[in-house]
Amino acid sequence: MKRINLTGRALSDVALTVFDQSPEAAQELAGKNAPYGLILTTETAYSDLDPELIEKADLIAIDFPAFGDGRGFSLAVRLRKDFNFTGELRATGPVIPDQAQFLLRAGFDSVDTDDARAAAFQKAAGRFTAFYQTDYTGNTSVAHTRHGPSQRERKAS
Amino acid sequence: MYAYDPYDKEIVNTRVEEFRDQVNRRLSGELTEEEFRPLRLMNGLYLQLHAYMLRVAIPYGTLSSVQMRRLALIARKYDKGYGHFTTRQNIQYNWPKLVDTPDILLDLADVEMHAIQTSGNCIRNVTTDQFSGATADEIADPRPYAELIRQWSTFHPEFSFLPRKFKIAITGAPSDRAAVKWHDIGLVVRKNDAGDIGFEVLVGGGMGRTPVIAKTIRDFIPEADLLGYLEAILRVYNEQGRRDNKYKARIKILVEALGSDTFADLVEKEWQTTRHHPIDVPEAEIKRIEAFFAPPPLEVLPEQDPAVDELAANNFLFHAFLKNNVRPHKVPGHVNVTISLKPHGGIPGDATDAQMDLVADLADTYSLGEIRVSHEQNLILPHVARRDLPELYEALSRSGLGTANVGLISDIIACPGLDYCALANARSIPIAQNLAKRFDDITRLQDIGELKVKISGCINSCGHHHAGHIGILGVDRKGEEVYQLLLGGSGAEDASKAQILGPGFDENGIVDAVETVVAVYLGERQDGEKFLETYRRIGADPFKEAVYEAH
Amino acid sequence: MAKKPVGPQMILANCLREGRALFFGRDGAWHAEPALADVAEGDGLDALMAKARAFADANNVIDPVFIPAEQKDDHYYPAHIKHVMQAKGPSVRPDLGYQVSPDWERR
Ligand code: SF4
Repeated sequence: MKRINLTGRALSDVALTVFDQSPEAAQELAGKNAPYGLILTTETAYSDLDPELIEKADLIAIDFPAFGDGRGFSLAVRLRKDFNFTGELRATGPVIPDQAQFLLRAGFDSVDTDDARAAAFQKAAGRFTAFYQTDYTGNTSVAHTRHGPSQRERKAS
Repeated sequence: MYAYDPYDKEIVNTRVEEFRDQVNRRLSGELTEEEFRPLRLMNGLYLQLHAYMLRVAIPYGTLSSVQMRRLALIARKYDKGYGHFTTRQNIQYNWPKLVDTPDILLDLADVEMHAIQTSGNCIRNVTTDQFSGATADEIADPRPYAELIRQWSTFHPEFSFLPRKFKIAITGAPSDRAAVKWHDIGLVVRKNDAGDIGFEVLVGGGMGRTPVIAKTIRDFIPEADLLGYLEAILRVYNEQGRRDNKYKARIKILVEALGSDTFADLVEKEWQTTRHHPIDVPEAEIKRIEAFFAPPPLEVLPEQDPAVDELAANNFLFHAFLKNNVRPHKVPGHVNVTISLKPHGGIPGDATDAQMDLVADLADTYSLGEIRVSHEQNLILPHVARRDLPELYEALSRSGLGTANVGLISDIIACPGLDYCALANARSIPIAQNLAKRFDDITRLQDIGELKVKISGCINSCGHHHAGHIGILGVDRKGEEVYQLLLGGSGAEDASKAQILGPGFDENGIVDAVETVVAVYLGERQDGEKFLETYRRIGADPFKEAVYEAH
Repeated sequence: MAKKPVGPQMILANCLREGRALFFGRDGAWHAEPALADVAEGDGLDALMAKARAFADANNVIDPVFIPAEQKDDHYYPAHIKHVMQAKGPSVRPDLGYQVSPDWERR
């Protein structure tokens, strides 16, 4: 297993716990007063997430049961957009190299993949250089870049 | 027409190189078929019964003559000399080799075309009215918005792995020629009291096993908010659409399960939180795209032309062509000419490379180099001077493209069916051919009048049988091809679901049954009623009695 | 697990590079003509598939599958209309596909 760094940020090595929506579990994590990471599945409804628990996490891993389970992308966008999550976002599960740029642009920082695919991941992550959407890595949509430098500064979050 | 700028070019070219890399990795064995399949599908490359099939997008059904010639060249160079125009304003090639597909994509990119998102669980080619920008009855040309949506939806980081495919159609006219109510999202251009452009938004339409007509969730979304609102719909669908059962994964099932009001509330809430997010494109961008679709510089000409009238008086077929294939343009003295790809005995929607080249030449001579493709699988020359019609008709007829049957019973929509499609249960094309043979007399066709026959080779409904005035669905009964007959569907603004009449028929029986249905209509119709009007007035029973009594 | 197919079966696949439908032959190669196809039944199925699958593993063909076969004259042919179509080509284009000739593609 290899960890691919998509964004170049310093990656976290905190231990991960499976997200549990019960108040007790949240309290326990908060009470420990130590950095923590959470594992979310693509089944997780964003409305079940405790905003404080999310915001304070160092690392959140979204586990894809299948690479085609696109809920993981919307969940990532939610965490960045609605929960102001600024920690590391990691994709785990059978995601494929050809998704690298989608992951990156939806807000993921890192991916766990098997060694054989690491090179393909790295290559795919930098393939496109122009985008039709403003995204969570700071790329501005060409709809904006076409119309002047003042627009270029716009960021998604 | 829209022209790529360096950004568009870079994105499409990068895609070609990415796909070349993916094909090479597949050929070398680095990718297994299981891994490669979704990648090729995202690029419109299927594996069908006889060969691969490549589906190329014709965004909003608009082609230049240069692009049409390129489609002809691809048919010649990499395929078997023809292509198939589909019900979603795409063209399909039936025999490409995997090893050739990267070069085909490169040839396409060269004329600003692509096969991006013509398949897979993503936002597909946005379709629209084939007469956009050339018809008097529209509020605004919908194509700039379709282009805006094309760009926004291309390689969308969040919405490229949806529960299921996602189809958007948009119309600028109250007469719906794009079947918007049968789409996952239908957009209808509206003008509010202040004179501003916006859209009525419908969601949850679709065919397949569970036909549903889309419901309006917002009467008016202003132009500037369009993409933000679409994004909100897609986010709710991506999160909550079912993924456990592919037959229940389309947005129509989610909308039905939640109720359209609840769905609308969820969308509204999500949209409010993201409004004015950078998704909303600058006004200057809308203006930039609109400029490409500025009204064509046509001079106003007399509405009548003596040469046209004379030929019509003397040539019965030209008279029929004028009546059925020609409709007024928004500029006086001009017309939209529909070129029927339904010659009797031919394959609906197929065109040879020579025919494509000819249409390109005719477009240059008579239509400002512009061509349209309709969801009814015909080609259109949108900007023709009325006085040029005799010459144009002559040229079309000589090449087998002069069939004067547009909108009539032999202008049949048919999917490829079991002759090509790996998912098919039965053949569609031979049924269309036999029907055209049965109704081969243009006088009779015209007497029957507007009648839309739509044929699908399986429940996936690519042939839109649910929306046919007469719909035909092929099913597999223990290895035999059996055809169900449906009546009363509509894909227009008065959208309705066709209903199954009764037990199915074999290949010959279905043609007889259609003939009986037509006879009942002719016997029952009252002054000038169209088939659908008669059906709606008298209901299915008289048809049922006649069809099944005869058996 | 899928049920074991009943009755005589042949193996159909598509070639990777060109996509054409091909039958696994008695000579251990792939052919356009179903008359050359190897046919197995019951306990013989697994061995036949193992031979055919080697070609899929070697990346020559995609998705080899059993299809029901029926005997006509001296030979076996695909029983289902879909596979008959694959053996021949589109019924509406008699000028295309292997119905023209087994070496149609190369002519
Ligand atoms: S309706 Fe069925 S048979 Fe026809 S093209 Fe679609 S999937 Fe194939």
